[in-house]
Amino acid sequence: MNRESRRKGGKIRRFSTFRIVEHWGIILTTMILFATGLCQRFWHLELSQWFILKLGGIDNVRLIHRYTGILFSLELLMNTSVGMMGVIRGKWQPSIFISKKDYEDAIHNIKYYFGFENHPAKCDRYDYMEKFEYWTILIGGILMIMTGVILWFPTLVTRILPGEFIPAAKALHSNEAMLIFLLNAVWHIYNAIFSPEVFPLDTSIFTGYISRERMIREHPLELARMEGVTPEELEKDNPGKIRDLKVEAAAR
Amino acid sequence: MKVGKRIPWILVLLFSFPVLAVGYGHARETEVSDVSRKCLQCHGKQGIVKTFLNEETVEAYVNPEKIRTSVHNFLTCSECHSGFSEGKHPSGKYKSKFQFRLRSSSICRRCHSADRIKAKPVHATLLKKEKMGESPICTNCHDAHSVSAASGGKVFSNEKQYCQKCHQHELSMNFSDGEKMSLKVDPAILESSAHSKLRCSDCHYGYSSEEHPEKNFRSRRDYVIASSESCRRCHFDNYTKTLDSVHYDLLKQGNLKAPVCNDCHGSHQISHITHGVKGGLITTQRCKKCHPMIYEMYAKSVHGNALINEQNQDVPICIDCHTAHDIQNPMTLAYHEKIPQMCGNCHANPAVVGKYGLSTDVVKTYLSDFHGVTLGFYKKQREELYKPARPIAVCNDCHGTHNIVSTVSAGPTSVKKNLVRRCQKCHKDATEEFPNAWLFHYKPSFSKFPMIFVVNSIYRIFIPIMWAGFVLQILLHIWRYAVNR
Repeated sequence: MNRESRRKGGKIRRFSTFRIVEHWGIILTTMILFATGLCQRFWHLELSQWFILKLGGIDNVRLIHRYTGILFSLELLMNTSVGMMGVIRGKWQPSIFISKKDYEDAIHNIKYYFGFENHPAKCDRYDYMEKFEYWTILIGGILMIMTGVILWFPTLVTRILPGEFIPAAKALHSNEAMLIFLLNAVWHIYNAIFSPEVFPLDTSIFTGYISRERMIREHPLELARMEGVTPEELEKDNPGKIRDLKVEAAAR
Repeated sequence: MKVGKRIPWILVLLFSFPVLAVGYGHARETEVSDVSRKCLQCHGKQGIVKTFLNEETVEAYVNPEKIRTSVHNFLTCSECHSGFSEGKHPSGKYKSKFQFRLRSSSICRRCHSADRIKAKPVHATLLKKEKMGESPICTNCHDAHSVSAASGGKVFSNEKQYCQKCHQHELSMNFSDGEKMSLKVDPAILESSAHSKLRCSDCHYGYSSEEHPEKNFRSRRDYVIASSESCRRCHFDNYTKTLDSVHYDLLKQGNLKAPVCNDCHGSHQISHITHGVKGGLITTQRCKKCHPMIYEMYAKSVHGNALINEQNQDVPICIDCHTAHDIQNPMTLAYHEKIPQMCGNCHANPAVVGKYGLSTDVVKTYLSDFHGVTLGFYKKQREELYKPARPIAVCNDCHGTHNIVSTVSAGPTSVKKNLVRRCQKCHKDATEEFPNAWLFHYKPSFSKFPMIFVVNSIYRIFIPIMWAGFVLQILLHIWRYAVNR
């Protein structure tokens, strides 16, 4: 893909149609999984009982949860295999892997928040927060799939593993679900909706495009690479776009 | 008239009053005739005994006072005891006392013909029996020498006394199927019953000194079932409860063996409710009458053994689980679903099971686990969505029903054996290891089920830290954004 084809009306293409569809798929399946799963975990709540009865009973809820789980597993499998294939065939950079720079960026940003640095960390295609989110959901998802299978086929599992694995899998499944749910409900929803940078909604995953301003601010290294310039040149060409505290303070 | 002239008249009236009064009295209680007085010379003294051929005896003593006050006081002895006179005293030979009384009754009928006495309903019944060859004995109810009209002539202080007049004797009732039932009521039993203050007609309605309707029943059982209907007049709440019971369902289907009120509570001997161990023992014995096999199982169980051998009143008796009146069919799903709650009545109550060192978490741990949650939803689905449900394993599926044994005394291997068998009912290919997926009512701890404990602990630490991290990052981000603007 050349440089021009990735632009449209001053916007830069960030996600392909495949990723947009994939994200929709994940939204749909996780929403169903959370709804049908949380009402089972918090079965004693009035709301859960109302919801379960509306779906036609606990057996229906379990059935929906399990088959949506299969869909989710397929999505996870597709995501990882497509990603790996892309990297292996040299089509994509292995940009999602966590590197030493991510730790440095995290520390840099904390310093920036407290005013010890005059600009936020300069990140590549995925910043450390996005990576954290991705890996938490990926590893969590694999855990959920494994424990989910154990809970689905307890008699089969106890032929190989001790019985205690079943309640342990249940504990892991529901705890991990809570963790992923909190991650989504607090962190992802804040970053995608309530963060003042994107409010009212970060549309990039739905349209596939992101503004150049946001690219300069959030993914300057990727933009510089795309435009064939060094990050320093990019910064020089776009003064003030990467916020410089000291410059702003002097101007005031 | 001057006062002085009136005095002699007043005195005459005053003195003549006792004479007149005695005279009036004599008119009511006639002196016995001379002939009779002669008989009483011997028969008015105690000690004369008549012996029958079967060696039975009867005292030939006649209380002169009773003769004088009886309704027959105007008769001479020989009018009833025909053949006896001043000169004749034949020695009648009777086989038995019964034959003698039967013979005596025939004397009564000389004056009191069937036509005259049949107006009284009670007599109508007796006359009918007479036609069938069973002669009534008048003196059973009316006495011999002190004969009084069972009503009217003599005023009874209460209805019970009036009924007892006849029903203290060996009366009986015949049913169409040839069965007989004694109508004798022991006054002592009646007095000691919970209903001692009631009148006979409170239960036997339709019967009084005026009315004694004849009722025909096919069998004694029919009579018992019909009689139980009278209980509802006072015990309407319990009566209506029985209409919803499995026993009444059986009765409706035509099973006359199904118990009705008096089968459990008795009839004239109805006792007050007994509480405590004694009451428990009485109640279990009542159920045993029809359910002996279940009783045997119960008696050997941890509950039954404690009741019978240790006089322990904390243990459940039949009615604690099955209730007393609105007894439900225990084979239904609705009943099955109620079992954890039933067991929980005691096993979740520290006041009951605390002293035996039993955990009160057993019900909570069951209800919050897979089976307990499923059971709760199946119940709701049945009630609200009319969805058929499958029976989910509840307390008695693993612990037994009437034959519950202590899990401590049974030992873990026996408990597990039971469990595997129960698991396999629903989980066909369950192995011996499968029951270990159940935590046996324990809460995971480091010593019991460490794997679950560790998983839970890690998340209990990790989730709040992560949550705090997110919130902090968000707050810092907003703060930095606000500062930059």
